Amino acid sequence: MNDRIKREKIGEGVFFTAITDPKFKSNRISVNLLLPLEEETAANRAIVPFVLRLRYKDCPDFTQLNEKLCDLYGAIVDGDVRKYGAYQIINLSVQSLDDRYSIAGEPLVQECADLACGMLFDPYLENGLFSEEDVCLERQNLIDTIESEFNDKREYAINKCLSLMFDGSPLAVKKYGTREKAQLITAKSATDAYHDILRRAAVEILFIGCGDPSAAEKVFSARFAKTQRQPVAYDASLPCVSAKQVRTVREDMDIAQGKLVMGFRTGETTSPDEVDAMKMMVALYGGTPFSRLFQNVREKLSLCYYCAARYDKASGMMMVDSGVETGNEQKAQEEILRQLELVKQGAFDDAELDSTVLTINNALKSTVDTLNGLENWYLTQILSGSDESPIENARKVARISKEQIQAAAAQITLDTVFFLAAKKEGQDQ
Amino acid sequence: MKQEIRSERVRESYQKIDHPSGLTLLLYPMEGFSSAYAMLTTDYGSVDMAFRTDPKADFTRIPAGTAHFLEHKMFENEDGDAFAKYAATGASANAFTSFDKTSYLFGCADHFEESLRILLEFVTTPYFTPQTVSKEQGIIGQEIKMYDDNPDWRVLFNLLKAMYVKHPIAIDIAGTVESIAEITADSLYETYHAFYNLHNMVLTVAGSFSPESVVRITDEVLRPASQLHLERNFVEEPDQVAQKRIEQKFPVAAPMFALGLKVHPADPKTNVLRSIVNEIVNEVLAGDASPLYRRLYDGGLINATFDSETDCGKDFSALIFSGESKDPDRAAQEILNEIKRVRKEGISLEAFERGKKAVYSRYIRMLNRPDSIANAMVGAHFSGLGLYDLLEAAANATLEEAQRRLAEDYRTEYAALSVISPLD
Repeated sequence: MNDRIKREKIGEGVFFTAITDPKFKSNRISVNLLLPLEEETAANRAIVPFVLRLRYKDCPDFTQLNEKLCDLYGAIVDGDVRKYGAYQIINLSVQSLDDRYSIAGEPLVQECADLACGMLFDPYLENGLFSEEDVCLERQNLIDTIESEFNDKREYAINKCLSLMFDGSPLAVKKYGTREKAQLITAKSATDAYHDILRRAAVEILFIGCGDPSAAEKVFSARFAKTQRQPVAYDASLPCVSAKQVRTVREDMDIAQGKLVMGFRTGETTSPDEVDAMKMMVALYGGTPFSRLFQNVREKLSLCYYCAARYDKASGMMMVDSGVETGNEQKAQEEILRQLELVKQGAFDDAELDSTVLTINNALKSTVDTLNGLENWYLTQILSGSDESPIENARKVARISKEQIQAAAAQITLDTVFFLAAKKEGQDQ
Repeated sequence: MKQEIRSERVRESYQKIDHPSGLTLLLYPMEGFSSAYAMLTTDYGSVDMAFRTDPKADFTRIPAGTAHFLEHKMFENEDGDAFAKYAATGASANAFTSFDKTSYLFGCADHFEESLRILLEFVTTPYFTPQTVSKEQGIIGQEIKMYDDNPDWRVLFNLLKAMYVKHPIAIDIAGTVESIAEITADSLYETYHAFYNLHNMVLTVAGSFSPESVVRITDEVLRPASQLHLERNFVEEPDQVAQKRIEQKFPVAAPMFALGLKVHPADPKTNVLRSIVNEIVNEVLAGDASPLYRRLYDGGLINATFDSETDCGKDFSALIFSGESKDPDRAAQEILNEIKRVRKEGISLEAFERGKKAVYSRYIRMLNRPDSIANAMVGAHFSGLGLYDLLEAAANATLEEAQRRLAEDYRTEYAALSVISPLD
C-alpha cells in the first residue's frame, strides 16, 4: 500500500486531510461541511450546494462554468448532501485528471482548487443574495429529489422503517429535509443558511489522488483565515439504545413484490473493538453470499432474491431488508429472527467465522484502490474520531473471537418491522 | 502466443495470450495496487435466442431469460456452490448477464490464485438437475418482480420494446415468469455446450497479480476445448421503430422519460468506434455545457438526473436520452428539435473540442480502476478491438467524423419515447 496520509488543522474547526498515492491518474478535492441535523433547517441547508454548483462570481454563467469544466479535461463538479448519524453534511467536490494527462501540460490541480474555493467562498450574488432565479429552480429540484424517494420501492421501504424507528430524534431527519420546509425556501433564507454554514460548520476537506495537495491546502487555508468562524463542536460519540417493544407497520401499494424491512437497535457499542465485533456479526449474519440470511432465506427456502443485513454504527442500527412475495412475509420474518437467535447461541462454525474475516479483510484492503473507497473510509474514520487505516482495521478484525460475535448478537433488539405489501400480486406487464 | 499491447499515451501495457485451451487471456498488471479483479466472460447474452453448431441443422430456439438463468445455475456444482468455495478465500464474487455477454467475476486483495482456480473450475463444470432448476425458478421469479418495481429499469425496457420490432433486445434480460418455466436441465446443458466453449470466452484480469501465475493456473485447470462452429440467428431489424410512444402508469412521484434513436448498425467493431464518436456528439448536443441542457434545465424540463448514453452490440446500436421531467413529451420534442437544428447548422469546433476532452477524460479515468479495466477489455475484445483503441478513438476523433455521425445516426424519424407517469 502506497497511500500517504497527512491531516492538518488549517483554520478554526477546519481540517485538511491529504491522501496521496502515485498509482492514480486523477485527483479529487472534497469539501465537507458538517452541522447537526434539524428538521427546521435541513432543507434550507440542503439547497445550498446545488445553488453554489450553478455558477460563482468569477464564472457568473452556468453554461460558461460547464464549458470551463470541459476545457479542464472533463473535470467534474458535484454538490450534494450526505448524512452521518445525526449530522448533515453539505458536500462540494471537484475531480479532474492529473496534470500528467493534460495534453498541453495545463496545471489542473491548481485550477480545480481555485474553482472549488471560488464556488464555496465567492458565490454569485445579486444585492447580497443568491439569485432569485437560481433558488427558484433549485427549490423545485430539491422538492423533486425529496419526492423521488418514492420511486425506488426498496429504498422507500427502508426510509419508511428508519423514520418509524427514529421518530422524534435528529436521526430521523432526512438529509434533504421535508417537502413542506423546502417549499418555504427563499433567496434570503438560502443565503442566510449559506452564511451560517460557512461560519458554524465543522469542516473536513479531503484531497485524494496522485497530485501535489499543497496548492489546494494553501488556497483553502488563505480563504478560511479571512472567514469569521464560530464552529460547532463535533460530537463523535455513538448512540447506545436498545428497543423497548416491537412496532409493526404495514402499507399497501400497487407494486409487484412485497418489501420487508426490519430495523434492529445495536445497543451499547462504545469501544472500537465492540464496533468491529458488531461489524463482523452483521456480515456473518447477512452481509455476504454465504451468510446465514442468504444461505437460508434465499437458497434453502427460495423466499426471495435478496435478503441482506447492514450495519450503521452512526445511528446504532442494523437493518435487514428483503423482497418477498406478499403472503410469504411472515415466513421470511420468522426465518430471519431464527437465524439471529442461532448466531446469538453461537451455532456457527469456525469456517463461517474465518470466511467472514477473509471477506471483510478483502473489502478493507481493496478500499485503498479507488478514490471513492479512500474518501468514504477516511471521512467515516474522521467522523467517528479515529485515524485507523483500512489495513490496520483488517488486522484488528481478524482478532475478533466467536464469543465477541455472540456478545454483539446478544445486544441486538428488534425495534420496527415495516412491510410494503403488493396490493395486486403478479401484475406483470 | 503472447502479445504485449502498449499505450504510449498512458505509458502502460497489458498482455494478450491465446491459451492452448482456446481461451483468450487479457492480463493488465497495475503497479501500486492492492487488489485484483478477474472476469471470465462468454460471448453469450440475452439477445442470443437461437443458435446452431452444425451448419446443416436447424436453429435451436432458446427460451427468453436462458442466459441469465444459466448464469445463476453455474454457481451450483455437485460438490457445493461456488459462493461457499469463495468463502474460503474471502474474494468478493458475482456474475451478471447483459444483452450480449455473461460474466463471472471476483475481486480480492489476498488468495488470488485460489480464487482464480475456483472461477475457472466452476464456470467449466456444468451441473443441472430438475430439482436445482425448479428451485431457481422461484428465486429468479422474485428477481423479475424486483425489476418490475424499478421504474428506471421499466422506462428503459419499455423504450426498447417501442424501438425494436423483431430484435430480442426488446425482451427483458431475465425473461418472464412464463418463459423461464420452459427451461429444463437438458435445455441448459445444450445451450451451455454451444456458448461456453473456451473459444467463445475471454479471461480478463487487472490490478495486483502476476501474469505468470494466471498462465500456470489456466494450464492446470483448463483442458483444450473442441473446435467450435457457432452460428447465431440474427434477425433482420428494420430502421423504423415499432411504436413512437409507450407509456406506463407507475407509483412514482414525478414522470420519467427515455428518448431513443435507432442507429442503423454496421459490423460490431464499427458499432463501438462510432459510438465513441457519438458520445462526443451527445456531449455537444445535450451535455452540461450545451445550449439545450441550459434551456431545458432553466425551463424546469429536466433536472440533474438527465443523462445521455450510447449503447451498441453486434447487430444493434442506439442513442438514449433519459431523466425525470414534469413534461416528458415537451422535453423529448425539444431534444429532437435541437438535433434537427444542429444537423442543419453543423457542430462548432469549440463545442466539439470541449465534448472531446470530456469524453477523452472518461476513458483515462476508466484506467484508474482494476474493475473498469477488466470490464472494458471484455467489451473491446468481443468487438475485435484492443482496450487502448477505445482511448485512441476518443483522443483522435475529428470534427468531420462527428458531423458525419450526426448526419447518419441522429435520424429523428427513427425515434421512440418511453414515459413512466404517476398513477392518477
